[in-house]
Amino acid sequence: MKIFKTPALFLLGCVIMAMALSAHIVAAPEEQAESEGMKNRVTAVPSEARRLALETAGAFANDGFRTRDGEWSGTLTKGAPLFLQVTLFAGESYWFVAASPMRGGVVRVTVYDSTGKRMKGEQWKEDASGAAKSGARAAAGVAPERSGTYFVAVELLEQPDGSPADFTLVYAYK
Amino acid sequence: MVTGRHFAILALLIPCALAVQVRGANPGPSAITEQQRGEAVFLDALSIPCPGEVFVALNKACRPNWATLVTPATAPVTTDRSQLALVVGVLAANGYIAVEAQDGQQVRNVGREIMAVAKALGVSQSLMGRGNSLMEFAENNAWEALADELEATENEVKATMVEQKDRNLVVLTSAAAWVMGLKISTGVVQGSDTLQGLEIIRQPDLAKKLASQLGSLPPRIREGALVVAVRQALESAATLLATRGLSPEQERGNLKKINDECSVVVKGILTSSTVASPTPATSLPSPASTNHASSNAVTPVKP
Repeated sequence: MKIFKTPALFLLGCVIMAMALSAHIVAAPEEQAESEGMKNRVTAVPSEARRLALETAGAFANDGFRTRDGEWSGTLTKGAPLFLQVTLFAGESYWFVAASPMRGGVVRVTVYDSTGKRMKGEQWKEDASGAAKSGARAAAGVAPERSGTYFVAVELLEQPDGSPADFTLVYAYK
Repeated sequence: MVTGRHFAILALLIPCALAVQVRGANPGPSAITEQQRGEAVFLDALSIPCPGEVFVALNKACRPNWATLVTPATAPVTTDRSQLALVVGVLAANGYIAVEAQDGQQVRNVGREIMAVAKALGVSQSLMGRGNSLMEFAENNAWEALADELEATENEVKATMVEQKDRNLVVLTSAAAWVMGLKISTGVVQGSDTLQGLEIIRQPDLAKKLASQLGSLPPRIREGALVVAVRQALESAATLLATRGLSPEQERGNLKKINDECSVVVKGILTSSTVASPTPATSLPSPASTNHASSNAVTPVKP
């Protein structure tokens, strides 16, 4: 190879590569723990999806709902729903709002209890003309009777060009 | 009399009505599998409720007298980063109590203390604006905006911890906030004649999850005295809250136990220490020696 004109340079390259590899393989315990904790997390922070989600959740503020200062962002593929674990309180009302900047797509939000059973509640989704104009938005409203762990599913139902779609989910409570 | 024509009309109308209902409701699958539940994402910012959320729920059930729950919280003098992260959680929860009590001065105090701790943690650079907002909202009695700002401030501290490769400290802040939330909420419910609000604070899974997260921290953090104490308090709370079918007296006894344990832990978190020691806990004050836990039971204001 041209870049390794002399044996010394070749050896130096090998040493650097070996060091880089060993540092990658033998990670510190906390880094390993961190990466294990992160494996289930969805990366990417699509700001347009966030803006749309917050805008939609903001509409519930008129009814006294407070939107939490946190979001779940990621990428959806048709036929592969993603799930978020949440902790809800008996007697509270919640709206979970998901939004994606994709034009003409359809997303769906569903809430399940700790046993995996779908909760009764309200469903809202952006109509076709709105979705074509500004992006896909959907929301699920629930009022749990028991405090505990629940699961929020976000699904991509329709995507005109078939490609994965960025999304953000936020929630509001009162 | 029902004729064939009626049947024909019904046969046409029923599918139409069903179609409209399904389109409007658009429900997802009726159930998800255990595997899907196991794969669910657990995010600090959304999966763990903020203390303000618990207090809002309690407000509906038993209208606590928040003014009696406001306690002056001063950040301890310490160089132990784990303790500082725990302090942020306790202070944030204190801030929510002050918001519910509509005590502007206390909110300002809490804001100042959080800034001081953030500075000690080296995460204060991006927080100056938050601090100013807290002061401004408190002066204008903008209570809802204050609650939002408190959560945003706590999250910004956590985000900066992550940026500075201190992700482990985030878990400590969340756990401490929840312990403080348990201390307050168990005190409130315990003080109610009919244990109103008990079902609201019954969140054993969350306490268990937080305890488990603390147990997964690197040894140098998880073996620290305060972290051990927080974990034990959460594990105990998880066990006691998961027990059902008890008499009201037994429930009250369990709430008192959680309240006592959480009170001791909170006191330990807010106590100054000169040694940044990651050694296991042996010297936290016992509930009996603190002699203040039972006074945390609060008589709710009748609606």
